[in-house]
Amino acid sequence: MLGKLLKHEWKTVWKVPVLLIVILMITAVLAGLTFALPIWDSEWVGLPLSGMMLILMFYFAMIAVTLGIQIYFAVRYYKNMFTDEGYLTHTLPVTSRQLLLNKTITMSLWNLIAILSVVVSIFVFCSVMILALAPKDSSFARDLMEAVGAWPEALKSPYMDGFEGFCIGILCMILVSAFSGSMMVIGAITLGQMVRRHRILGAIGAYIGFTFVIQIFTTVFLIPMMVKMSTSPYYDNAFEAQSPFPFMTPFYFLVTGVSLVVGIGLYFMSEYLIQHKLELE
Amino acid sequence: MNGLVEVINLTKFYEKRKMALDHMNLTIPRGKIIGLLGPNGSGKTTLIKLMNGLLEATEGEILINGRRPGPETKNQISYLPERTYFQNSMQVNELISFFSDFYKDFRPERARQMLANLNISENARLKTLSKGTKEKVQLIMVMSREAQLYVLDEPIAGVDPAARDYILRTIITNYNENATVLLSTHLISDIEKVLDEVIFIRNGRVVLQDTVENIREYKGKSVDAYFREVFAC
Repeated sequence: MLGKLLKHEWKTVWKVPVLLIVILMITAVLAGLTFALPIWDSEWVGLPLSGMMLILMFYFAMIAVTLGIQIYFAVRYYKNMFTDEGYLTHTLPVTSRQLLLNKTITMSLWNLIAILSVVVSIFVFCSVMILALAPKDSSFARDLMEAVGAWPEALKSPYMDGFEGFCIGILCMILVSAFSGSMMVIGAITLGQMVRRHRILGAIGAYIGFTFVIQIFTTVFLIPMMVKMSTSPYYDNAFEAQSPFPFMTPFYFLVTGVSLVVGIGLYFMSEYLIQHKLELE
Repeated sequence: MNGLVEVINLTKFYEKRKMALDHMNLTIPRGKIIGLLGPNGSGKTTLIKLMNGLLEATEGEILINGRRPGPETKNQISYLPERTYFQNSMQVNELISFFSDFYKDFRPERARQMLANLNISENARLKTLSKGTKEKVQLIMVMSREAQLYVLDEPIAGVDPAARDYILRTIITNYNENATVLLSTHLISDIEKVLDEVIFIRNGRVVLQDTVENIREYKGKSVDAYFREVFAC
């Protein structure tokens, strides 16, 4: 049954996020293309300003896509589970776990797709910008190739020590944050339903509460970690002659760990509430 | 033989203050069309929601074929709520595919036949349909299942008399004869002719459960007239 739920969920939801991602990519291309236009050297300030506006629009589009997808799935979760549509959702012959897993998997994957889309859009922007700038400067392409070619050598430098671990840390954080971000939304909306007369306000309050608790947890773990690091002889001159990555990586793993624990906790809380405290109006 | 639905000492409080059901005991038999009748706020919809697992009981329990509400009982109950509950963005044919996927007892050919009878296009999006047509689509979906229990909450409220007749005809001609139909409504005179039994509830308690035949024979009144007498203000 989970497979069927996922099939129908994806069939229904894909259009809105795909539309947002397409708009993001178009904005990335347009922002990159501004570098091909002869506006930057113009004496009239309006022309370079309009180019900057386009680039700024790309920046806002990146935020809008990640936020928009999150909001779209939050509204959909609320409507499907706790409004009139819930009468269909909760009378399907499936378990509460299957219902929640369906929503969690779909929302997490789309959050991940949103993050990846932002990364891809930056790549698209940079590629278009490079292609646009290359014809203007004959040495540009050669310099770029040299910079790319020097990358393996740069990785061996002491300043890049621990870079692989840092990348793994970032990757783990992105993967976990797609899940924990979804669970923050799902958990907040589900907990908000316990405030029977002000369900939406309850959900917003719960979301703020969760964020506050996570901040406290992260700080509680972070302070001793930073004190320990700062007193370690290895980090005495961390910012002068050594790589910053061994210093930064544990922080990302810490945030990932806290997010994962919070996400799992919120999943089980939501499952319990849907199973035992459901009260459709 | 046990009933299809057993309601045992069922109590429901909303927010620990308002009592909607008060230690209700009830047995709903198989193979009957039963009217669940009572004034506003008597607990009809609460009882129906509890049967469908949309609420949690404060005390007591409901057993459907001996089981508490869950995925197994949802396979056996075909439920029509008293509101429009399908996603507006869906097309009618998507609904048919949705119901076919989730309910083994759903008969898509029956649904298509009923839609054709009413000239409702399968390609129509629900948001383009009128409220009355949406309600008909909902009823068609619900009655296209071969369920053991059909629970219809106010199926004829808010529709014109011609549509009422169509709805009642749809219910009578499409339900499985071994199944039970539980109909909740205020419009007793309209449905009286199709009912086998009635359950009167007031303040969350059952005040009467009897056959329509008995009421007519022993009280010398129609169900509608008797209801007015019992619930006179």
